Amino acid sequence: MNIIETKNISYFYPDGTKALENVDFKAKRGKIVALLGPNGAGKSTLFLHFNGILRPNSGNIIIDSEPLSYDKKHLMKVRQKVGIVFQNPDDQLFAPTVIEDVAFGPMNMGLTDEEVEKRVKEALKKVGMAGFENKAPHHLSGGQKKRVAIAGILAMRPQIMVLDEPTSGLDPRGASQILRILYQLNQEGMTIVISTHDVDLVPLYAYNVYIINEGKIIKEGSPPEVFEDVKTIRKANLRLPRIAHLMEILEKEDKLPFEKPYPLTIGEARRRILKEFNE
Amino acid sequence: MFDNVLDNYAHSNNLKDANTYFKVLFVISTMVMNLISTSPVIPLIITFFMSFLIIFEAKIPLKFYLKFLLIVPVSFGLLTFIFMSIFFGVGSHILEFGIFNLAITSDGFNLGFLVFARMLGGFSCLAFLALTTPTNEMFTVLEHLKIPKIVIELAMLIYRYIFVFLNEAVNMYHAQETRLGYHNMKKAYKSMGMLASNLFIRTWIRGEQAYQAMESRCYTGSINTMRSKDSAKTIGLKNILFLLMFEGFLILGVYFTANFRLF
Repeated sequence: MNIIETKNISYFYPDGTKALENVDFKAKRGKIVALLGPNGAGKSTLFLHFNGILRPNSGNIIIDSEPLSYDKKHLMKVRQKVGIVFQNPDDQLFAPTVIEDVAFGPMNMGLTDEEVEKRVKEALKKVGMAGFENKAPHHLSGGQKKRVAIAGILAMRPQIMVLDEPTSGLDPRGASQILRILYQLNQEGMTIVISTHDVDLVPLYAYNVYIINEGKIIKEGSPPEVFEDVKTIRKANLRLPRIAHLMEILEKEDKLPFEKPYPLTIGEARRRILKEFNE
Repeated sequence: MFDNVLDNYAHSNNLKDANTYFKVLFVISTMVMNLISTSPVIPLIITFFMSFLIIFEAKIPLKFYLKFLLIVPVSFGLLTFIFMSIFFGVGSHILEFGIFNLAITSDGFNLGFLVFARMLGGFSCLAFLALTTPTNEMFTVLEHLKIPKIVIELAMLIYRYIFVFLNEAVNMYHAQETRLGYHNMKKAYKSMGMLASNLFIRTWIRGEQAYQAMESRCYTGSINTMRSKDSAKTIGLKNILFLLMFEGFLILGVYFTANFRLF
């Protein structure tokens, strides 16, 4: 069951440059989908179509088996369903305190004060930022800002969370905290769409991977399927996960028997190596 | 070069949890006293008292407060004082310079001194508010005072983005400095101009992005936020009594020192 589906959408910037070309993108309900692509490939642009911020020049978008229409009432509904976490938390956090920022979405939904308060508390707790309610965003670290930005979306209780480069610019610990939160949310049933160019992390969590380059989807499938096609990966200015790259070198240069498909994660590589040793 | 210590103190001083309405009421009424006083005595008393509160109650470091107070306000005030005492007023001369017929007159001096004292008093009141009250709580009070919503929303956004752009400006400044952008006067002017124009363009882009982010969270044109629970009703009897006594003392002071003049 697809919760997000774009059919053949194309989008041109106001100056006429093509940003997206015939993009078909699907996200299955309850899964984590990764959109991989180099800088400027159109990832953010595609995401802004999911909740009707941008309107495609051609093609359709279907959210939760309802075609996206652009009247005010429907947009409100869609924006509650599809939450977008922006790449730069400073773009998203606009309020003078954390609590006011997280409350912004639910307040716009017209909920009662008690309900808003409950949701804000819950959202901040989920991202591990309880106790920071009255802090100003400019007194937080990058990772903390990102988590508050996620809480701001969580408080609206969306069914789908779309995150634009959620780990960019974070230290390894900050990045893994974010991923743990996302993993937890996914376990609770939320559909998650992430854009990234961190190829090492993708095989760890993604159910499905899309590769986008110059506004076109050039590859789609499960992580093993996608990373098997090394040529396409490199064409899109991406690379194999480090561990797969090591296996490729071991096979090609050192003639060790690690043939395709290369293991993509440390766990898989470990099993493979142990198997080779034991034989 | 740029820093936001003021904001840090506002969020972490010893009086930040005191009732915001009380602080605002206290500051405004004291400022009124400061302005209606016709002698410099009351403004100076206010200056000392407010400075005392800032340093010993709110526990703002003395060095920071003096820097904050002395650099701009006091130097600007002294300048005004000097000019007023020379160019204002008629009457008996108390000091003659001997050139261009310049002289300090007694009314000029008295007026200049009064303005200087009022300025110090007013500034110390504002400093008290700025250093002890987190800005977001001020917004709550403003909303309560029926200030138009659009003004508060603008203030909120401006307040937040000042720090974002301050940060960007510092980064750009360092990047320019790394490439020797400020090693002489001419270069410095040019670099500063580039920094300013670049910052302007960035504010534009950032504004667009922030708008998209807000739209994604169902923004419909007005910012509704949760406000803190302080209210005028929770000021407390002790605080009200203190306020009445202090302002009463100031009123008496204003009355009794009305005709006090230095010369």
